[in-house]
Amino acid sequence: MLDLAMTPDTSPSIAPTREDLLRARDRLRVARTRASKRWVKLAWLLAGPGVLVMLGENDGPSMVSYATTGASYGVGFFAPFIVLTFVMAYVVQEMTVRLAMATHRGHAELIFQRLGPFWGYFAMADLVFGNLLTMVTEFIAIQAGGLYFGVPAAVSVGIGFIVVVASLALQRYALWERTLMTLAVFNLLFVPAALLSHPDGAALARALGTWRPLPEAMGAAFFTLILANVGATVTPWMIFFQQSSAVDKGLTRADLAQGRFDTAAGAILATIAAIATLVAAAPLFAAHVDVSQFASGADFASALKPLIGTTGATLFALGIIEAGLLAAMTISTSSSYALAEVFSTAHSLNLDFRSGKLFFGVAIGTAAIAGAIVLIPGAPLLALTLTVNVIATMLMAPALLLLLVLANDREIMGGLANGRLANVAGGTIVVLIAAIGAAYGVITAFPALIGK
Amino acid sequence: MHFDPRELAVLERDQLAVEKLRALPRAKVTRGVTLMLLALRIYVLIAVPVVIYAFAHALLAG
Repeated sequence: MLDLAMTPDTSPSIAPTREDLLRARDRLRVARTRASKRWVKLAWLLAGPGVLVMLGENDGPSMVSYATTGASYGVGFFAPFIVLTFVMAYVVQEMTVRLAMATHRGHAELIFQRLGPFWGYFAMADLVFGNLLTMVTEFIAIQAGGLYFGVPAAVSVGIGFIVVVASLALQRYALWERTLMTLAVFNLLFVPAALLSHPDGAALARALGTWRPLPEAMGAAFFTLILANVGATVTPWMIFFQQSSAVDKGLTRADLAQGRFDTAAGAILATIAAIATLVAAAPLFAAHVDVSQFASGADFASALKPLIGTTGATLFALGIIEAGLLAAMTISTSSSYALAEVFSTAHSLNLDFRSGKLFFGVAIGTAAIAGAIVLIPGAPLLALTLTVNVIATMLMAPALLLLLVLANDREIMGGLANGRLANVAGGTIVVLIAAIGAAYGVITAFPALIGK
Repeated sequence: MHFDPRELAVLERDQLAVEKLRALPRAKVTRGVTLMLLALRIYVLIAVPVVIYAFAHALLAG
């Protein structure tokens, strides 16, 4: 095993940076809490990356996918299917937690250093470009949600950009994380929206237990929604974000149980919000509303208004804004981590602006470009959204396989490397998601292949 | 920024910023992994043009 030291080093020759000191203070709080055996507080202190990555992936386009699913097929097969996709997401993301704890390195730098520049530059370019386009879709969600409330596009996009920059200006990982976790709670706005649709609890329970009723027609639209729901749950930025933020947070091997709990808690909360969105949109299915031309979450909110009431529709629109905003903050940060890691420059939310010019510049630049694109009159937003799906799904295969290779790298992982069971579970999921992702990419790029 | 040097003792050595910038050596990959990475390169060579095509097609379609 490589010398990834476990022992503290208090050598006076080391000149501590601001990043070191802030991380040390966070770790000191964790150490004291662990020593006093306050397990609930310990879990709270160590929560963050898992919750943020899972609720961050419940972003604008994902919530539209869940709403489209509910409006197209009602509550049935897709409710347990969403649960399954988040189980898969947990298995994938748990590997990033172990990688972070074992190596204290971000995902992009591990790929670059351990597997070579080709994969390092490829992963970074794929991520940064894909993230930029995804950011456009997040600002579309923010804009669309704002329009529902009569807020001009430029104002809502401008506010979104300011919020992203303001979160970075905190210059403190712990504060940034807690701020985003507070915002992430609002992803659960879809739950009261679902309750206002007066769902049939017994039917939902039956669907979760039996995967029924199955859709009457299982054509191309059904298959595409299957793929879209998988694509809404596991994407490349999540891998890069959770590993890098877990490193930035300072998680160590001693925190493995809490890191897994954080990831599981995030998956459970995200599953609840996703199924709530499906349920909230189900009245559109009962009312036979054609949602095929709906372009954003705001269209769903407007269509739901006569069915679930003004309050429910308002909650739905607010949820869409939150989904776009949180994702814009987490996704832009994942680009920052990846780019700064590959170019071996400082990368931490504990940096000040002067020490982290590239790190902060990437996030701010990405948000500025994405926001500006959304505001360009006649911009090909649909083309960008389509390409986001293709990139995210087709290039998921390399991201997952590289993750699996690194999780099996015993030189850096030691005892945290994948065991046989983890490889069987992880490998199966990787193959399944990679195949589904590739199929979705091809179908999206060449729709004529499967007809209507 | 005021700090107590003993605070740093809670960090593992590789958690220090200066250590994190130290590059790790290349992994010694097995023949199987090498073959898989080669197959992955071929996949990427196929996937990237599909992505570019999808983007261009969507742009032209408006």
